[in-house]
Amino acid sequence: MNLVLFTFIVLLGFTSYYFGRKKAYTIQSTKKRLTALPQFYGYYLAIWCAIPAFIIFSLWAIFEPTIVKLLILSDYSNQGYLDDELNLLYEKSKALSRGQFTGEITPFIEASAEKYLSLRSIAQSSKVVIVLSAIIASVAYAYKRISSNSRTREPVEKFLNAVLFTASLAAILTTVGIVFSLIFQTIDFFKVIPLFDFVFGTHWYPAKAFVRDSSEALDPTMYSDTFGAVPIFAGTFFIAFIAMCVAIPIGLMSGIYLAEYASTKVRQYAKPLIEILAGIPTVVYGFFAALTVGPFLKELGTSMGLEVSAESALAAGGVMGIMIIPFISSLSDDVITSVPQSLRDGSYAMGATKSETIKRVIFPAALPGIVGSILLGVSRAIGETMIVVMASGLAANLTLNPLESTSTITAQIVVILIGDQAFGDPKTQAAFALGMSLFLVTLCLNIVALRVVKKYREKYE
Amino acid sequence: MIKIKAKDVDVFYGKKQALFNISLDIEENQVTALIGPSGCGKSTFLRCLNRMNDVIDICSVKGEILINDFNINDKSCDVVRLREKIGMVFQKPNPFPKTLYENVSYGPTIHGMAQSKQEMDEIVETSLKKAALWEEVKDRLHEPGTGLSGGQQQRLCIARAISVRPEVILMDEPCSALDPIATAQIEELIDELKKEHTIIIVTHSMAQAARVSQNTGFFHLGQLIEHGSTDKIFKNPDNKKTQDYITGRFG
Repeated sequence: MNLVLFTFIVLLGFTSYYFGRKKAYTIQSTKKRLTALPQFYGYYLAIWCAIPAFIIFSLWAIFEPTIVKLLILSDYSNQGYLDDELNLLYEKSKALSRGQFTGEITPFIEASAEKYLSLRSIAQSSKVVIVLSAIIASVAYAYKRISSNSRTREPVEKFLNAVLFTASLAAILTTVGIVFSLIFQTIDFFKVIPLFDFVFGTHWYPAKAFVRDSSEALDPTMYSDTFGAVPIFAGTFFIAFIAMCVAIPIGLMSGIYLAEYASTKVRQYAKPLIEILAGIPTVVYGFFAALTVGPFLKELGTSMGLEVSAESALAAGGVMGIMIIPFISSLSDDVITSVPQSLRDGSYAMGATKSETIKRVIFPAALPGIVGSILLGVSRAIGETMIVVMASGLAANLTLNPLESTSTITAQIVVILIGDQAFGDPKTQAAFALGMSLFLVTLCLNIVALRVVKKYREKYE
Repeated sequence: MIKIKAKDVDVFYGKKQALFNISLDIEENQVTALIGPSGCGKSTFLRCLNRMNDVIDICSVKGEILINDFNINDKSCDVVRLREKIGMVFQKPNPFPKTLYENVSYGPTIHGMAQSKQEMDEIVETSLKKAALWEEVKDRLHEPGTGLSGGQQQRLCIARAISVRPEVILMDEPCSALDPIATAQIEELIDELKKEHTIIIVTHSMAQAARVSQNTGFFHLGQLIEHGSTDKIFKNPDNKKTQDYITGRFG
């Protein structure tokens, strides 16, 4: 029903656009000058059709259930039910009216269900009537305004402005919502686990929290030495460090090659090929790391007399570095290419060679963008999950040996949230605390990146 | 004395020929102006003289250009040494995004011309003095060169060009982005610089050519129509086209 009504309103919108434009053409044909292009009159009318429909629809969606509920429950108002029982009764009659009720049917509930059905149908038809009449009234009003050739361009532009503003507001509000949900869960977590233990504890062993009988009361002492985040923070930064050791030199050098040395033809083929690397799903990188690189490193290490774990930080970090190469290479290529040719000419005209020009003129000029691309790579490395889960194991060892396995924040969140979880359990809340710290780390990185870029920009522009 | 001798120079951009058979002699320690309507090839010719056309992939140059009797289009020519000898100033001021000091010391550094910090300081100071910029910037040598005004930036670029003591300075419309006062300063500077350097200047302003140059070449559609002393070109040109251009009848 709603869908039909909605389609009808859309059709009405198109029709009013058509009529608005037609009206404008008519005015134009009388040799009068319009205040805007004819389309604007069409849009104007269509907006006058859409806005009342939208407002009534949203108000209806908000108030209809409440009003229906009030009307139904008014039958029970003098019988001394509690609020909870009333709610239950309401839900029961609703279910019965949909034919989904399986419990015992009392005459009372049956009556309520019937009443619910009739109320719903009244509501539905009155909605159709109200919406349609509102649309017709507003379109008629707007149509009349058009005939007096009043302004239409400004309202249309304002409407567009409002739509775009709403879109960006939605993005911002979502972010704020996510951050707040993180914050509240994190606060709950720190009510059980002291902040100090989390930040400075060196044992991360959430499996200990798995064995708790859920009916038992929470005993904070049980979790001491369970949620110490130092090993996984260390692991995160360590693996990201290994990844950047691979990605920065290779990415930067290939970016410089593409931008400065490669002929147009090589560039034309090489750049898309490198960017394909960015299109490979991280899961694929993950099993590449776990099944190919990990065992290869283990064999190589054994042949040299080293003890290498099959799941090593080196395998995960190395493959992660390969994953990040295209980001750095492609971005730094763009940045270097956008350095003005006049600077290159100036340097060549002084008798500088290509490498001198790159080292002394182009690289410093492109540095803010290059730093930006590197920091983007770092946030990718810190946020990367799949490769670590598959290739570097899940045990949070505190180690700086790249040949051993370590774990990262993201991998631990996966571990914690796989399988059964209960809200309000420290184990689940630990995931939120980790998410929050991850968010803070990347936020700091971004702020630092912006600062660096800004500082150099002031210096170089 | 002849400093540069161009013989039958042809330039192609891909298949399109931009310069036809240019032969031109350039006198030492004089200012030679190249004039002509836009797209006539005068900048292209200028860029042949320090082989800046090498930078453009599709550009090819044929013919001989002798500087001090050495053909710079020969394979044995070292472009780095050539450009050390032939400085260039561009149309739009293009200081590097570095400090004033680093801008001027750039050339001497890459050519290893200073043995000590002191020597470098001296080179920077003399170059800036010659470019008539020293008094204005001596207290802020370590601020970015891009913070200067347009005219100052162009003089900084001139200081950068003369820091390696080139024999020839090529100027590609050096004043076209500047206001009249900055233009007058640069013109005065050009007059001063010709004592030590041979200068070739491309310009759109015929008044400027008349003011600063001793010799003038007139280019049209990739050909050198006429060249000779500035006096003669402006007062009594041989060619009808030159006459028309000078008097503003086309171009």
